[in-house]
Amino acid sequence: MEKVIFFLVVMCFAVLSCTKDKTDYEAEIDTVVTEHYEFKEAIVVHTRAFDIHIEALNGTFYKGYNEIRLKVTDAQTRENIQVTAATFLPILAKADGSKNSCPHRYDLVYREEGNYFSGYAVFTDESSQGNWQIYLSFTIDGEQYSATHGITVEKQPNKNLNMTAFTGKDDEQYFIALISPQKPKIAENDLVAGIYRYHKPTQPAGTFPDPAQFSYSEVSGYTLQLDPRMPEPSMGNHSSINNKDLIQEDDGLYHGVVNYTMTGNWTLNFILLNQKGKIVKGTEVPTDFTPGVEGAKSELYIDILF
Amino acid sequence: MWKLFTIPVLCLGTVVHAQHISRQPDSTHILDEVNVNAVVNKQIETEMKMAVSVDEFLASSDNISFIKRGAYAWEPLLNNMSTERSTVTIDGMHIFGACTDKMDPVTSYVESNNLSTIDIKSGQEGSLHGATVAGSMDLKRRTTPFGLRKKWNGAYQTGFEFNNQQFFNLGNVSYSGNKFVADGSISFRKAGNYTDGHHDEVRHSQYNKFNTSLALAYKTSPLSSVRVDALFDQAKDVGFPALPMDLWLSRAIITSAAYKQLFEEGLVRAWDTKVYFNAIEHYMDDTQRPENLVHMDMPGWSTTYGLVSKANLKKDNYGAEIQLNAYNNLSIAEMRMYPQDRSKRTMFAYSWPWVTTRFAGLSMNNFWDISERSQINLGGSLGLNYNRSKYVEFNWIFHPGTPSEKTRVLPSLHAGYQLDIQSFHFSGGLGYGHRAPSVSEGYGYYIYNSFDRYDYIGNPDLKNEISYEANASAGFKNDRMGITAKVNYFYIQNYIIGRILSLGSPMNYQSVGVKGYTSLDHAQVFNISLNAHYHIFKQLHGEGMLTYARATDDQGGNLPFIRPLSYQASLHFMHKQFGFQTSLNGDFTQINYSPAYGEDQTPAYTVWNVSADYTFNFKKVKTVVQVGAENLLNAYYSTYADWGNIPRMGRNIFTSLKINF
Repeated sequence: MEKVIFFLVVMCFAVLSCTKDKTDYEAEIDTVVTEHYEFKEAIVVHTRAFDIHIEALNGTFYKGYNEIRLKVTDAQTRENIQVTAATFLPILAKADGSKNSCPHRYDLVYREEGNYFSGYAVFTDESSQGNWQIYLSFTIDGEQYSATHGITVEKQPNKNLNMTAFTGKDDEQYFIALISPQKPKIAENDLVAGIYRYHKPTQPAGTFPDPAQFSYSEVSGYTLQLDPRMPEPSMGNHSSINNKDLIQEDDGLYHGVVNYTMTGNWTLNFILLNQKGKIVKGTEVPTDFTPGVEGAKSELYIDILF
Repeated sequence: MWKLFTIPVLCLGTVVHAQHISRQPDSTHILDEVNVNAVVNKQIETEMKMAVSVDEFLASSDNISFIKRGAYAWEPLLNNMSTERSTVTIDGMHIFGACTDKMDPVTSYVESNNLSTIDIKSGQEGSLHGATVAGSMDLKRRTTPFGLRKKWNGAYQTGFEFNNQQFFNLGNVSYSGNKFVADGSISFRKAGNYTDGHHDEVRHSQYNKFNTSLALAYKTSPLSSVRVDALFDQAKDVGFPALPMDLWLSRAIITSAAYKQLFEEGLVRAWDTKVYFNAIEHYMDDTQRPENLVHMDMPGWSTTYGLVSKANLKKDNYGAEIQLNAYNNLSIAEMRMYPQDRSKRTMFAYSWPWVTTRFAGLSMNNFWDISERSQINLGGSLGLNYNRSKYVEFNWIFHPGTPSEKTRVLPSLHAGYQLDIQSFHFSGGLGYGHRAPSVSEGYGYYIYNSFDRYDYIGNPDLKNEISYEANASAGFKNDRMGITAKVNYFYIQNYIIGRILSLGSPMNYQSVGVKGYTSLDHAQVFNISLNAHYHIFKQLHGEGMLTYARATDDQGGNLPFIRPLSYQASLHFMHKQFGFQTSLNGDFTQINYSPAYGEDQTPAYTVWNVSADYTFNFKKVKTVVQVGAENLLNAYYSTYADWGNIPRMGRNIFTSLKINF
């Protein structure tokens, strides 16, 4: 009987002693990725009798793509005010005196379901690079009001919302900003990006801020060819399959599919083609499997991490 | 009193024996003592070597071959088909390895001193334990009967093998009371690197194994008993020379509780129901391989619980076995690759994305003695197999939109006829059966196979593999000699095998490409074996075995891992307390190898073994000492199924001592 007890004791110890823990898959992805899905108030601008509320995801403006929502309330009663039109213009003033903007929606779009004006801004620099000001105007009962306010643009901690700015072969200035997925999975991911172009002013500047000097638009009818690869040398230029190039959909954004086969650093190698299929920017990357050697990147790429 | 009950049990025993079902008398049976003693003393051993590992024991069977990745945990191939195609169970309990690279077949979690026998059934005859194509291997644990005259029994075995400095200690003890029985075993094995026939050390071929088991049985009534079993196995620091990784730790805990009821009369004679649980964890380790470009963790877990319930029926010349199998398995395997700059983010993915397998099936085998000389058997099973991939998005990468759940119906049928005419014995049979793809075949994700150096991707939409089988045997036996020839042929529809995918790039730095599991239209497997034994005179007898197999895919190309023409021959001489054995085994040149699946031609080899033993009684304790040499001529060879052509062990002098008390 003692032997029996001895055996049982040995067995209990053996079974209960430490082993490796299984990976918590959800937490694994959360370690480097924070997902924001709640719009919070980023700034409030007081102008005369009105408060202008600007909301952004997490109440913060980040470098890269930001969806914004604008509401106007009565400063006294805090009731929503019926606004008929609203404009939005961000301007970056740098120490050297230059004044630039970034891709944005100037004429905000009214969204009835949420009773707000919707727009976006693709901030190209963080506030550490200069001072961002937003210039707003809105119309109430036929009367136009305007306001301006300084904002802070922070570093985007989520590399899945990275952006890139470049000059294409057509000598135009382009911007590509990742919009979705914020939190990729080891799976097929719907990849959404915004592609924008700066329109060089054709007329001399009017009174500042003259929106015609800071004109950007979503490019239409382009194609963004995609080749995702892992840059880590030991991954030997690993890629995935069943990816789809990004093409424009009705929302003006570019939609495609990217498959991530494992977590870690990935490079989205792009080739941007215009409506005629001509390369605006980007180069093909080698597809060879080269263990120990970091794969070459396209001249147009965005790095992500999850 | 208890003698009364021996009668039905004995009847059952004889009937079963007559039906050529290899069945071990069970602890709860009340059996006559002669039989019982035979069981108690029986231990897994080959004629060459009395202290063998489970793998070595299996290797002596004519329809088992092995894929070897080192000195430990060989993957048993039944009828030259890989483990996915056979069911391997321990006392009917389903267990699934936790290693995506099949480094832990079920046979690696038991030890020779807690097994009494291994019941191998070829083809659909093995469908009793669940859906199969190749057959079944049931590892039977030792069970001590109730009420032995000698209450305490035990055995101790120790030995040393010089080639790899293997030192082992195996002990087991049993207590047999009228109401209570206990079996316990414990074993340790520790081996270093072995050296090949060129006196070169094969690095990373060491292993350490610890195994212990305990079983307690209580007789609840004269005809019923309950039994609880537990087995714990741990392997540590196991090298796999043919792989870029080793095993840091694997552990298995295998438990069951069973209730058995015997019946003195009526159609149902015995009914045995068991619930079981087993958990396996398996952690690969590459820290001993500094040459690797990528450091990688590859842990795996496999947890199974289930129920097996079996009834034995007998009436006049009819007998039957009915078995219900149900189990639930969860297989998880992860891989985490570390970047060269360790401060950077690690790269993680599941190679088994939490795959659940549920199976429920009812199987039946019927036997009719249609005359004194002939018997018919007819059997079948119907199973329901359900799979679910929790993180199906992994599978969507290669198979977009595939459902996360899949249910399959797995039918099986088999029939056989046996005829004895004087000293001649003939049999023939037909079989039909389905099997579901394994977890790796269905849901595997970038599983690196170091043999062909491809990453393998599972396909959840694979069709069932369907086997059509025919088998026959003919034999002659008299007092002096016996000879048996056996053939079987399998035509397998939707044969599952990895095919190169033109898309996708490998994930493991050693691989050269990606293969996806796909179904060939069909494949054919043919096995033939010839066994003979001859008593030259009373003290001297000889045995011989010749096997050949041929397997082709739908294009007529060769399938991999098919054993070439191979032979085993042995001579045994006994004189008083001395025994001498010598054996010769080898393969001929592998003619039908398969370059398409990563094979190269393996040359012929022959290995010569000798051993001698001496049995004596030391203070009423039966003692056997044995000394011998395997591969006496120190041949340098590797077999057709040695992963990466790693050389096998050179000359190995072994010694062992066994005492029974």
